[in-house]
Amino acid sequence: MKLNKNLIKIYESDASRLKGNAKEVVHPRNVAEVRGAVANSARVVVRGAGTGLAGGAVPQNGMDVVLDMSKMDGIHGFDKERNTVEVEAGVILDELQGYLARFGLEFPVNPSSHAVATIGGMIATDAVGSRAIKYGKTSNWVKWVEIVDGYGEVHKKGITELSDYSGMEGITGVIVRACLKLAPRKDRSATLVKVESLEDVVSVVRELKRNSAVSMIEFFDKGISKELELGEGYHLIVEYESPRDDPAGPDGAGALTGKEYEDLIKLRDRVYPFVAGEGYTRIEDPKIMIDRFVKLMTWLEARKIPVFGHVGVGILHPCFNHDQEKLVPEMMALVKRLGGQVSGEHGIGVLKKGFVEINDQKILRNVKKRTDPLNKFNVGKVV
Amino acid sequence: MPSDKPSKADRIAAANLMEEASEVFDNCISCGMCKSLCPVFKILKEERVSPRGKGIVLSDKVMDKILFECTMCKACEEKCPLNIKVCEAVMKGREAMVLKGRGLKSNEEMIENVRKCGNPFGDKDVKDPEKLYCC
Repeated sequence: MKLNKNLIKIYESDASRLKGNAKEVVHPRNVAEVRGAVANSARVVVRGAGTGLAGGAVPQNGMDVVLDMSKMDGIHGFDKERNTVEVEAGVILDELQGYLARFGLEFPVNPSSHAVATIGGMIATDAVGSRAIKYGKTSNWVKWVEIVDGYGEVHKKGITELSDYSGMEGITGVIVRACLKLAPRKDRSATLVKVESLEDVVSVVRELKRNSAVSMIEFFDKGISKELELGEGYHLIVEYESPRDDPAGPDGAGALTGKEYEDLIKLRDRVYPFVAGEGYTRIEDPKIMIDRFVKLMTWLEARKIPVFGHVGVGILHPCFNHDQEKLVPEMMALVKRLGGQVSGEHGIGVLKKGFVEINDQKILRNVKKRTDPLNKFNVGKVV
Repeated sequence: MPSDKPSKADRIAAANLMEEASEVFDNCISCGMCKSLCPVFKILKEERVSPRGKGIVLSDKVMDKILFECTMCKACEEKCPLNIKVCEAVMKGREAMVLKGRGLKSNEEMIENVRKCGNPFGDKDVKDPEKLYCC
């Protein structure tokens, strides 16, 4: 079905709220339809759930055909012995978790948009999420991907070529299917820890990281803690895991279980929308070593920029309001001086193109040239 | 059933309703969480029918029949972190479309059938034509 201009506009933005321009929208139902759409289009932008915060799925120049992968939601090839499952790109993470629950398994990477995030989008951005401290990035849990190249040909890419597609934000091809590795489901509990100073945050995080049962350390600054009615001071949500129905439980298991645990985790998922609702809509994702945490936080606090994040892996989410946005380049420069990365998990997209190091740009351009010689995919993003 | 040309009063009322519907989305941050529980999106799997999609259309004060592709279940409102009243806005959009004579043909036929035959199917062979019945 061809969409009219008013409806195409729906596909011209994502959670970054950047606005773009698309020529057409296609909702492929299978690999053959993806191949057809790609082969017949000069420019292609692939879209998953549209929850990206860097504008990676925003079509740029009015020539782009948007491929909305949501209809490709088949789950096939579950292998109980190898603990793997084959899924199409549009499968939503929570729906996959629901399917896997009956086998006592799960996909352990957990971005806060898990209720809508698609597996294809998670691979394309190499999503990280709150449990990265234990499970790492999405690509750690992908065995192979099936991609459609610019000529409409299908290729299977194993572990050695995966990095050409995972985390490349759709500039190298269309991920249509993937084989995912799975982990046994865990019993989880959590504790809310109040911390008085930034230095104490560092020492508490260091201590917690030594405990193998800890699967998540989330940080809220003083302002956000107060707004969320957690009380004065900084707060950490610490999640613990144990094998299912383990009567002993893990060392230092969290105080909150069952519904209380779920409510605390839901609170964590709500933080960004809450902060954005207060006008702090530009969310960044610098990644730094924990020993540089105090320096970056002091800079951000001095400028009254609210911060939360996955402090366990060094990813912070400073949120800027309209007036503060001009401070983003200054913060990025500080992050680089502190030896950090400008993007820990949201990707480069359009918003962070200007902050990519020259050497990284060269590498990315080479990968783009090699995998997309027709320069068809997500043109104008990342590099 | 073709609608009559809308009166000036109806056109003004429709414009006001669209304005109100548009304002409902002023605070929307486009996070997309509303899609997670939406039964229409769950079946059709197209962003255009998602609550976020309807929000974009209504923000632009556009009357499109996607406004009728909503069950009014308010599941999206449950999930919305900013408590945006999506269904209220969609209802206003529908009202405006009907006032402008751009309601769904099938709905107008159904209403006509109920008026004429007491049932939405246009079935005249009912035992008690005064009594309204449905499926």
